[in-house]
Amino acid sequence: MTAPIVVLDRVTLTYGSGATAFTALRGISLAIAPREMTLLLGPSGSGKTTLLQVMGCLLRATTGEARFDGTSLAGRSLEALTQLRLRHFGFVFQHYNLFPTLRAWENVAIALDLKGYPRDELRPRAAALLARLGLVERTEAFPSEMSGGQKQRVAIARAIAGAPDVILADEPTAALDGRTGTGVAKVLQQLAHTDGCAVVVVSHDPRMLPFADRVVTLEDGVVTGDTPRPATGYDPAGETHA
Amino acid sequence: MSFRLEPPLPGTTLLAWRNLAHDRARFAVTLVGVLFSVVLMGAQMGLLVGFAQTASGLVDAAGADLWITPVGTTNVDIAASLAERRRHQALAVPGVARADPYMVQFAFWRKPGGGTESVIMVGYELVSGRGGPWRLDGVSPDALKVDDAVIIDRLYADKLGVRASGDTVEINNRRARVVGFTDGIRTFTQSPYVFATHTNAQHFTLVDADRTTYVLVDVADGHDSETVRAALAARLDDVEVWHARDFARQTQTYWLVTTGAGGALLLAASLGLVVGIVIVGQTLYATTVDRLPEYATLRAMGAPNTYLYTVILKQAAIAAVLGFTLGALAVLVLGLGSTRSNIALATPFWLIALLGALTAAMCALGAIVSIRRVMRIDPTSVFA
Repeated sequence: MTAPIVVLDRVTLTYGSGATAFTALRGISLAIAPREMTLLLGPSGSGKTTLLQVMGCLLRATTGEARFDGTSLAGRSLEALTQLRLRHFGFVFQHYNLFPTLRAWENVAIALDLKGYPRDELRPRAAALLARLGLVERTEAFPSEMSGGQKQRVAIARAIAGAPDVILADEPTAALDGRTGTGVAKVLQQLAHTDGCAVVVVSHDPRMLPFADRVVTLEDGVVTGDTPRPATGYDPAGETHA
Repeated sequence: MSFRLEPPLPGTTLLAWRNLAHDRARFAVTLVGVLFSVVLMGAQMGLLVGFAQTASGLVDAAGADLWITPVGTTNVDIAASLAERRRHQALAVPGVARADPYMVQFAFWRKPGGGTESVIMVGYELVSGRGGPWRLDGVSPDALKVDDAVIIDRLYADKLGVRASGDTVEINNRRARVVGFTDGIRTFTQSPYVFATHTNAQHFTLVDADRTTYVLVDVADGHDSETVRAALAARLDDVEVWHARDFARQTQTYWLVTTGAGGALLLAASLGLVVGIVIVGQTLYATTVDRLPEYATLRAMGAPNTYLYTVILKQAAIAAVLGFTLGALAVLVLGLGSTRSNIALATPFWLIALLGALTAAMCALGAIVSIRRVMRIDPTSVFA
C-alpha cells in the first residue's frame, strides 16, 4: 500500500474561545494516500470544509497533529505553511474563483508564475494543461465568456499547474448541471488514478460517489464512516457502498 | 482610432494592469487624479522656482564673483547707495581683478500716452558689460552710448506704454528714449528693469556722480574668492561683501519669504501632494476591496505576502507612471506658455525629476491602506 501523504492524528479544531467557542472538528484521525480519490460527505456544518482547510494547511489544529509526507506541521510558521501549500497542494473551489480579468490561459499561468516557472514557459505550459482538460479552443476566453463547466475545468487546470501532490476540491460540482458535473468528477478521478495525486473532494453531490475510491462521512465534527471502494465488482451506477 | 496598451506575460504586472484597466471609468478617475496632482504640484513648484530665478535674475546674470553692497542690504532691488570710492578701495585689495560700479534704483516712468509706472533703473559699465542686459533682441549694447538711451524688456512694453524702439518717455521727469528690447527678463517686483549706462542711470535717478549702489568684483585667477571676500570686508567700512550665490539666495529668500509668495506656493504644492495621495489611495483601495476574493484565492493557493503587495504596488506604479507622464507634459506646456507672460513658470529638469519622485511617493503612500487591508485577508474566506 502507498504511504499516506496527509495524516491527521486526533485533530481537534475549535473556533473562538470562552463562551463563544465552537468546536468544528473533534478528534479526527485520517490518512490520505496518493492515487486515491477520497470523498468527504456530511450534512452542512458537519466540519467537511474545515477538515479540508486543515489538510490544506490553511488552518492549524487546536489539538492533535497534522502531518504532511511524514513531517509534522505543528509549530511551522505561516510562511512555511504557505510555501508548503504552494509547492504541494492544488485547490478547486465551488465558485471556481477564477480571476475575472484574466483569460483562461492567464489564470493557469498565474499559478505557474507563483510556482516559479520561467516566464517563457508560462504560456505553452498553461495551454497544454488547458488542452488536457479539453479547453484547447477556449484558452483566450475570459471567465465571463465561459460556461460553468468550462470555468471549473480552467480552475482544475490551475489547481494541477506545477503537478501538486494533493488536490483539495470544495463542492466542485455544486454549481454544475448533471452532465458537466459528471465530467468534472471524471477529471478529478483521473488526476488520482493517472497522475497519482491524492484527491480529496468535499461534496453533497451524489454524482461524485461512483468516482470516489473512498468515502468518509462526517457528522458534528466526528468521522462516522470511512468506507473504501470495493476492489472489484464495483457498480458506478450504484448509490450505496457496501 | 483605437488605442490599446497590452501588458507583458502573466504575473504581478499583468494582475496589476488588469485590476486597474478592467474598470475603465475608475482607471480614468485615478489617472486624472494623479495628473491633477502632478499639474498642481508642478505648477506651484514651477512658479516658486520661476519666482526665485526672477528675483535673483540680476545677480545671476551679472556673473560677478563678489558683490559689495551697502550695509543692511536684504535684496538686489532695494538698497541704499555707496560712495564710488569704494570701487577704488576694492581695486587696491589683493586678488581683485576688476571692480565695476552697478546702479539699481527705483524710478518713476512716465508713459508717452500719460500715466506713471514704477521701474527699476539698472546702470552698468558699458566697457566691461558686467551687469548689463542679457537676452538682447536684435540690439547692440552700444546703442546705450547715447545720453538718453534705455533698453527695456518686451514683456513690459505694453505696461510701460512703449510701442517700438525710438519711443520717448520720461524717467523722473528726464527725457529718455527706448533704443531696443530684451526678450524675457522678468522682475519679481513687477517694476520692470530699465537698462542704461551707469552714467545715464545716475542722471535718470538723480544720484550724485560719485555714488552708486553696488560694486561688482571679479576675483583674479589663482585667488581664493572667500579670502578676497574676507579681505574686502575687512578693508571697506559700512559695506557687506557677498559671494554672488549667497547674495542671489538672500534676494530669493527675502522676496519669497517676506511677500509670503514662497509659503503660499509651497502650501499649494503640498495640497497637490495630499490630494494625489487621497485620490490614489481611495481608488487603489476601492480596486483592492473589489478584488479581495481574488487576493484571498491567491493567498489560499500559496502566494506569499510579497506577491500580493507587489500587485498593489505595481498598480500604484502604473498609475504613477501614466499620471506623471501626462501631468509632466501638461506642466511643460504650461512652462512653455509662460515664456510669453510676465509670470515665470520654470521647468528645469531637476524639477521634473523631483515631480516624478513626489508622484512615486504619493502613489506608494496611497497604496499603504490597500496593503494593510490585504495583510488582514483570510485565505479560508474563499471556501464560501
